[in-house]
Amino acid sequence: MKGMLNDQALIYQQIAQLLEDGILRGEYAEDSQVPSTNELARAFNINPATAAKGINRLVDEGLLYKRRGIGMFVAPGALEQLRTQRRQAFARQQVRALVREAKRLDITQEQLLKLVADEAGKEELL
Amino acid sequence: MTDRTIQGQGRALCAKGLKKNYGSQQVLRDLDLTIEPGHIYGLIGRNGAGKTTLLSILTGQNTKNGGEVTYGGEPVWENPRALGDLCFARELNPSSEVAALKVEEYLLAAKLFCPRWDAAYAGTLLKKFGLDTKKRISKLSKGQMSMVTITAALASRAPVTILDEPAAGLDVVMRERFYRLLLDDYAETGRTFVISTHIIEEAAGVFERVIVLDEGRIIADAPTEELVDRFRYVSGSAAAVDKALADGPAPLQVQMVGAHKMAAIQGDGALFERLAADPDLTLEGMSLQNVFVALCGHGDEEG
Repeated sequence: MKGMLNDQALIYQQIAQLLEDGILRGEYAEDSQVPSTNELARAFNINPATAAKGINRLVDEGLLYKRRGIGMFVAPGALEQLRTQRRQAFARQQVRALVREAKRLDITQEQLLKLVADEAGKEELL
Repeated sequence: MTDRTIQGQGRALCAKGLKKNYGSQQVLRDLDLTIEPGHIYGLIGRNGAGKTTLLSILTGQNTKNGGEVTYGGEPVWENPRALGDLCFARELNPSSEVAALKVEEYLLAAKLFCPRWDAAYAGTLLKKFGLDTKKRISKLSKGQMSMVTITAALASRAPVTILDEPAAGLDVVMRERFYRLLLDDYAETGRTFVISTHIIEEAAGVFERVIVLDEGRIIADAPTEELVDRFRYVSGSAAAVDKALADGPAPLQVQMVGAHKMAAIQGDGALFERLAADPDLTLEGMSLQNVFVALCGHGDEEG
């Protein structure tokens, strides 16, 4: 069993996403340690190689760095880099999905923009 | 923390051109397989695919009609040096030859075949499972039989440990506990495990690699997530799906609901990107279980 993991996405990607979310929420500050491969494997009952693959993806992206013999740490600048990545993905995925659904429902561009503006107002976006 | 030096010694278990017949029935057809040291393998296949036959031949407990099985380059058959490193924990049932034995007698027999037998570990596991060692195997529930199989396998400390259907009859709590025990042992020793199971989805995260056996042939042998990532469900109106797949790939499995069509396909990143860009289609990932059904569900579609 995989606890909070689901079977809709590859497990190593979910592990990577989980750590990313933790960094974005400030659970793992820059230069602080993230859970080890073995801790993640144990927490989710998954193969340590899969957990390692998730961690390594973040290392490759420059979000984590390794301290030999100690473990993995959040790289300086990781938070800002992640925000940039997530904003790009937001435009590519969520906004596109929103627009497509609006199109299927015959919602006009003007109506869609108003709906977004109203919701943004409720959430008090700057 | 981890001691990966004592186990395995880096020896691979290999089958080449393996053939096995039961009478006129071909059970294994010219099968090649390499089990590399230090990984957890899942072996999945439908009933009668040849899983148990393959595992028993790999461990020198069954004869073959052709091909060879080697461990570290040496033939396995009647080779004590190889056999001492290999443990095959069979699935037990009331008609097994060993069913008349008491649990303690069965484990004593297992110990004779396993030079690295860890009696203390066996004791810990028996306690954890609450097994009465004075009971005869034939008197145990299916789940308790699986617990005996698991105890024999883990306590063998064999560099290559093979478990046949260890999850059979276990409830979901016990299955979870089993995979935890397995992963703890693996983290500690790094030994090789091969596990056959019918309960695929919850084991998918445990298997680093998965081998799919279908009608005596291996039809997939790959890192689990790499295999799963080669497949997608594409859905939309039948016309849209047909148009998008006109130049291939041929769907492995198709489901129609009214005018809506869902097709399971195998492909690569470029194909999936092209399909995802089509506003009339929905593209979804598949689970290992879905992939298994798409690959092996042939021949007996309902209706």
